[in-house]
This record gives sequence, structure tokens and C-alpha cells, in this order.
Amino acid sequence: MRKNRSKIILIVAAVLVSLYFLYPTYMDYQLHNTLEQLHGADSLAFVAKNENDLREYRQKRIKLGLDLQGGMRVVLEVNVLKLLEDLAKNKDNVFTELIAQVREEAGRSEESSVLLLRRKFEARGIRLSRYYGSLRDDDEKIFQNLEDEAVKAIDRGMEIVRNRVDQYGVSEPSIQKLGGTRIIVELPGVTKEAEVRQLLQGTALLEFRLLRDPEVAIKVMESIDKVLAASMGDSTAAKPDTTVPADQKTPEELAREHPFFAIVGISQQSGEAFVMEDNKEKVRRFLELDDVRAVIPKDMEFAWSAKPTVGQDGARFYTLYPVKKTAELTGGVIVNARANIDPNTNLPIVTMEMSSEGSRDWARITGANINKRIAIVLDNAVFSAPVVRNKIIGGNSQIEGMDNIEEARLLEIVLKAGALPAPVDIVEQRSVGPSLGEDSIRSGIYSALIATVLTILFMLIYYRTGGAVADVAVVFCLLFLLAILAQFKGTLTLPGIAGIILTLAVAVDANVLIYERIREELTTGKTMRAAIDAGYAKAFTAIFDSNLTTFITGVILFQFGSGPVQGFALTLMIGIVASMFSAIFITRVIFEVLTEKSGSAVNFG
Amino acid sequence: MRLFGKTSIDFMGKRKTWYIVSTVVILVGMGSLFVKGVDYGIDFRGGTELIVQFANNVQVGDVRSAMEKIGFGRAEIKTFGSDRDILIRTSEPGEGNIIAEQIRAGLTAHFPTNPFTVLKEDKIGPKIGAELRRDALYAIIASLIAICLYVAFRFKFIYGVGAVVALFHDVLVTLGIISLFDGVFNLEISQNMVAAFLTLVGLSVNDTVVIFDRIRENQKVFRSMGLIELINKSLNETLSRTIITSGTIFVVLVVLLIFGGEVNRGFSFALVIGIVTGTYSSIYIASAVVVEWAERSKRKAKLID
Repeated sequence: MRKNRSKIILIVAAVLVSLYFLYPTYMDYQLHNTLEQLHGADSLAFVAKNENDLREYRQKRIKLGLDLQGGMRVVLEVNVLKLLEDLAKNKDNVFTELIAQVREEAGRSEESSVLLLRRKFEARGIRLSRYYGSLRDDDEKIFQNLEDEAVKAIDRGMEIVRNRVDQYGVSEPSIQKLGGTRIIVELPGVTKEAEVRQLLQGTALLEFRLLRDPEVAIKVMESIDKVLAASMGDSTAAKPDTTVPADQKTPEELAREHPFFAIVGISQQSGEAFVMEDNKEKVRRFLELDDVRAVIPKDMEFAWSAKPTVGQDGARFYTLYPVKKTAELTGGVIVNARANIDPNTNLPIVTMEMSSEGSRDWARITGANINKRIAIVLDNAVFSAPVVRNKIIGGNSQIEGMDNIEEARLLEIVLKAGALPAPVDIVEQRSVGPSLGEDSIRSGIYSALIATVLTILFMLIYYRTGGAVADVAVVFCLLFLLAILAQFKGTLTLPGIAGIILTLAVAVDANVLIYERIREELTTGKTMRAAIDAGYAKAFTAIFDSNLTTFITGVILFQFGSGPVQGFALTLMIGIVASMFSAIFITRVIFEVLTEKSGSAVNFG
Repeated sequence: MRLFGKTSIDFMGKRKTWYIVSTVVILVGMGSLFVKGVDYGIDFRGGTELIVQFANNVQVGDVRSAMEKIGFGRAEIKTFGSDRDILIRTSEPGEGNIIAEQIRAGLTAHFPTNPFTVLKEDKIGPKIGAELRRDALYAIIASLIAICLYVAFRFKFIYGVGAVVALFHDVLVTLGIISLFDGVFNLEISQNMVAAFLTLVGLSVNDTVVIFDRIRENQKVFRSMGLIELINKSLNETLSRTIITSGTIFVVLVVLLIFGGEVNRGFSFALVIGIVTGTYSSIYIASAVVVEWAERSKRKAKLID
């Protein structure tokens, strides 16, 4: 025992850590099971009570792929050709004709549309400057600029899509860039296809909207608070207890008397309303109630900040902006926007340029609202709400007050999204209904169980004690695999379940190799301990080499595959590592402990 | 319990007989590939695919006439698992999900009393399909090269060649059998099927490496033994393990094939074939290539003498 103490400690530690990693998955399952049995008001109360737990466990549990939980996967491609059309000026018949030719070719060609268009122009002897850039620029420079625009378009597209998905409120969305021109959007649990298509493909709407004064907003929020308190007080009929000062009341009392202000804070300095991330959904629900909508002035509405602000203590909160319902100006007037560092102050700024016609409106709007705030709103989310310092004539504005250059870049992208919507096409769309997902899980788990039980039984019968030890290893292997998957946010897909089954087979194979070797060694007349030592030593290279080659295929699959296939490769790779640890290391320690006193405690059948 | 005692089968002596068997199987498979081809799934072909579940059983022919009514007479229609689940696939070009919408509308009109739900709806653009096809091919080629290099590095170059020839054999045999049996099961070549092929490659090489490992080890101990005898000895020594492991995996895969659900069917079918041919090829292809190479070098050496 002593000899193996450190090894045993290592194994116990690995098991404990694994259990810790899997705890959220277990709790998530438990909570959702409980939730399913509750109905109506009970379930709402349960959600309210366990909101934090529910969210936290959900985040840390093993993620299920779209094929298992249902949902949509959409691949968007930036339509570079459409972008080229939008960017061109003085479009004439020749241009339309050439664009049509390029469109035809682009379907077959691997080359970028910009390059194809350039070739077409060159073949006709037309300079690019006829349609793009200024006359002084040569083709090469314009070409580079257009290529740049194409690259920027995808960033813009990503930001637009991310913003919309955030506003739509999908849990655990995944938005990734794929290659140079594609965006993969995965939306678990979403089945409303038409809605999502519209969400992803519609033109981005950028607006400049006036902010209402904080005093007005606070008055409105006070009425909202009263309305909510009244509707909640109905059942308990509790009158606000005015004898106790507000700061001595318990949180429960406060929540009952001031349901709105209990979760919406007002900043002392700016008068802005802010809401902790955890409460955002709740406030959103409040604001949608008919009674509440009735007390909000007709020309005003509340809009959320697009991104949360992170406080000093790491708390994330959203700002709730009171904006005018009608926009002063829309983003179409923006000609250009650029993030920069102000050379005088060394602070990040964004400069914005407007068309001549937009400039006129802008001068009037800014002139009439000096010292007021104008929100920059993209698809109903507020990205910035700068204060108007003076009347801006000529259309060149400068926005300050960003915390860092990243924030400034984001604003640049947002402003450009208004000017130049990144046109995207849906090139791939997959959706899996939740019922197919459920069937798949059921049959997947069902077959995994049967296979595991059969294997365990066989090992037990065929190798006796050895088989029992190998079975323990298989169970540990499964535990480690799932734990690693949970911790590193791997996704379990249907092929992934197949990968797990195969991993178990590989784990068993390692033990079969070792035991066959031990049996061979025993026939040469070795003692049990010596046979075990020799068996492990000699089987090791075979196990190592064969597992490594399988691992190599796993790596390649992960590189080239997509979605479900990657899930398979991932479980296979994790599984190989986990199975080597459990089938070689853990079983060895168990045998050493078992044979400490005498070799007869062990039997290999 | 022991299923196998000490064996002394002359595996390599009969290798030429097995060459014929392998050749025949591959030729039949290739013939089927040539005549019948394989069924490319939506991933590689592009188009629109729907799996719908009706409330009551429907006839495929009935669904077909529904599709003909809306002009999709060339659509592929088959049952998917049960007689209520129908798969409809068409390469009809169309912007966005127009095609899917037309199909749904067509079904609603044709089966007014038999409502359905959409279990799965995929739409893949033609360009994406071509790219996925290319990526899948790259994946298989890349893994074959990587395996060849690794085995050549850990053993000798000719062993790497032997392993890869065996893998080619396995891929060809499985592909041929899939082509033959397509129609009995839904065996379309999808991304999942490519994953199955790569797993098959992994399992097969796993088996080959275990045998090579034993040959390498025996070579050190029995230095004067002839190669054929040495390989036979190694094959016999590892036979028990080969059969136990392959047998276990085979059972696991058959369970997956039967109970794993329609979605996993093609995947597990390919692997069931793969584990059989993978085990066989480790002996009669991978090891045999090494033997053939040695024999040929010996003959050459004699000629020079």
C-alpha cells in the first residue's frame, strides 16, 4: 500500500475532480426534471427561486449538439458581389452586364469576386476608377481597397448578427467566423425558421435617437413601479409600511413594495437606469406587460445597451435608455466612420462623416439639442449615447468617451453597418426538430448501455478478477471522458456518443492486450507478480503505438470535419487519453495492491 | 475461460488464396460502384432535404404523387426508420428555403387529414456541397499519409506501406459493400459516413500495429528465424487478442446498428463491415505485403548472385 500511496492519491484526486466537473451536469438534469413536473405558477416560482442555479448549471453542464437537442444551424456568406454593386458609383449598363457575368462565374470559381471583377474590367480595358475610388487612384490601389472592404464586411456582418441574436434572446448561441467570408450561427432550441431567417438576413437598421431627460425617465419609472406594486399587492393586499424607513426594510419587503426599483438601479451622477445582467430578463418581462406599457408615454420607449458594462467588482450590468420612439436620422446618411486615437489626448475616438444631405439634417438636429444625448441604435440596441457638445455643420462628427480602442472599433463597425449593410446569403441551413433529437438521444444512450453491459459481462466471465479490474477501468474511463468534455465545453453529438462507445472498446482492447500477455507469461512458469510486471511492460508499446495512430485520425477528423463529426473526433481523442490512463495506470495500481500479500488474490481466467 | 489455446496456423502459406478472395470482393464492389454507384447525401450534393413524421402511416408512392403535383417528380423519397417517417430530397435549385416551403405546402395539400411535423430540414448550397466533398477527400488522404508516415517511422518503411495498402483495401471493400447494400439500409455517403470511414481506418491500423509490434519484438528474440515463420508465429501469438478485441467491438457495433436509431444506421453499418475487413486485412494484407516485399528482395538478391 505504501509504495503506491502517491499513485492512489493521484487516482482518487482525478476521480474527485471529475465528479466535481460533472456536478453541474447532474444538477442541471435534476433541476430541469423537477421543473418539468411543476405547472403554471409553481414552475414560475421555481424558476424565480432557482434562477441563478439554473443558469449557472446550464452553462457548466455538458453541452448537447444541435442534433441531440434540436435547433438551427445557419451558415451565412457575405455576398461580396452585392457589396461591390452597392459600393459602385455611376453604375451604367456596362457595369450591370459585367457584374452579371461575374455572378455567373463566381458560382463555379474558387477565386474572389473582387478579382474576377477586376479581370473583367481589364479585359474590356475599363479602369476600376470609373466606378470606384477617385480618378487619381490606379487599379491596384482600388483593388486593394475593395478587397479590404470585403474583409471588413464580414466583421460587420458578424457584429450585426451577434447583436440581433443577443436581442432575440437565444440561450447559448454560437457565432463563429469560418474562412474568409462565412459566418456559422448555431441556435440551440430554436425552431421558428422563418423568424430566424428574417432575423439573420434583414437589413441592419441604424438610427440616431434622442434620449429623454433623466428626470422624465425617472418619473416614468416611478409610475411603472407603482403599477407593478399594485398588481402584485392584489393577492396579499399589503399596504406599504411607511413607518419603517426604506433602508431598514428587508429585501423581500423592498421587492414587494418597489418591484421595479428593487432590480433597476439609478445612477446618482448621470441619472441613468442600470440593471444587473441576471435581472435583465425579468425587467424585459416587466416592460412588456400591458399595464406597464400604458404608463410609458407614447413617444418614448426603453432600449437596452448592446453590451453589458463591467463594474469594478466584476458585476455585469446593462443600461436602460429612455429613447424617443421616432428616429431623428437613420444610418443611410453615413458615408464613412473610422476609429482612431486622438493625437492630442491619446484617447480613442471615432470620426463619422455624413453625406451632404445628411449633414444638413444633422446640423439642425445637433443645433437644437446641445447638451442633450443622442443614442446610436443598431437594430434596437444602444451602442453609444454621446452628448451633443455643439452644432455640427459639414457632417464631420467626432465621438469620444470610449474606454479603449476595441470599443471604438466596435462603434466604427456599427456606424458603417448603417451606411453599408453587409449583404449576407444563407448558404447552408440545417434544423433538427426536438423530437428527432430526443429519439436520437434515447436510442444512442440505449445502445451505449447495452454495449457497455455486454462488454462488462464478457470481460468478467473471460478474465475473472482481471476482467473485474478492467471493468472498473472502463467505468473510470467513462467518468474521465465525460468530465473532460464538461470542463472544456466540448459538445456531445450523436456521432460523439458513437465515439464514446468506440472509446470504451479501445479501453477494453488495452486490457485484453495486457491480459493476453500476462497469460502468456504465466504459461512460461512465472509467478503472478512477475507475469503482471512483464505483461504490462511488453504490452505497452503495442497499446501506445496503436492508440497514437487512432489519435492521429482523430486529429485529422477534427481539422477537416464540421459540427457532429468534430464532436466525434473530440470524444475519440479525449477517450484515447482517458482510456490509456485508466486501462494502463489505474489497473496496474489495483493489481499491485491486490497482489501485495499473495499472488493468488488475482486470477486471469 | 479461454477460447483459444496455442495455435500454429500457417497464415502466410495460404496468403495467395486470400489474395484471390480479396480481389473478388473488391471487384464485385467496384462493379457495383460502377453500375449502381453510391448515394451521396445532402451534405455532398447540395439541395434540400426534409424528414417529416406523419401522424399515420403513409405510402411512399402517395408522397411521390404529392411531389409530382408540385413539379418535384425527380425528388428522392424513402421511408426513414418507420412508415410514418419520410425522407424527401431534391437538388432543385432555389433561393433560401423556398423549396422546403413548397414541399411542406405540397404535403399539407395532399394529406389534409394526416398532419405531419418536420423532424429535420437541411438546405445546402451547391458550392458548400462541393467544398464538403473536397474536405472529406482531403481528410481521408491526409489520414492515410499521416498513418503511413507514423508506422514507417515507428517500424520500417515497408511496414508503413503494408499498413496503408491494407487501409486502401478496407476502404475499397467497405465502399463496395455499401454500394451493394444501399437500398437495403439507408447507406448514403454523408459527413457521418466519412467519419465512419476514418474510424474504420483508425481501428484497422490499430489492429495492424499490434501485430507489427509483436513481429518487431519477436525479431529481436528470434534473430535467425525466417520472416514467414516469424510472422506466422507473431500472428498466432496475437490471434487470441485479435479475435477477443475485434469480437467485442463487432458486438458493440452490431448493438449500435440494431438499437442505435436510424440516424446512426449507415455509420454503424460501415463500421461493422470495417471491423471485419480491418481485422482480416491486418493479417492477409498488411503482413502479407511485408512478406511479398521480402521475398521479392530475396529473389532480386539471388539474381544478382
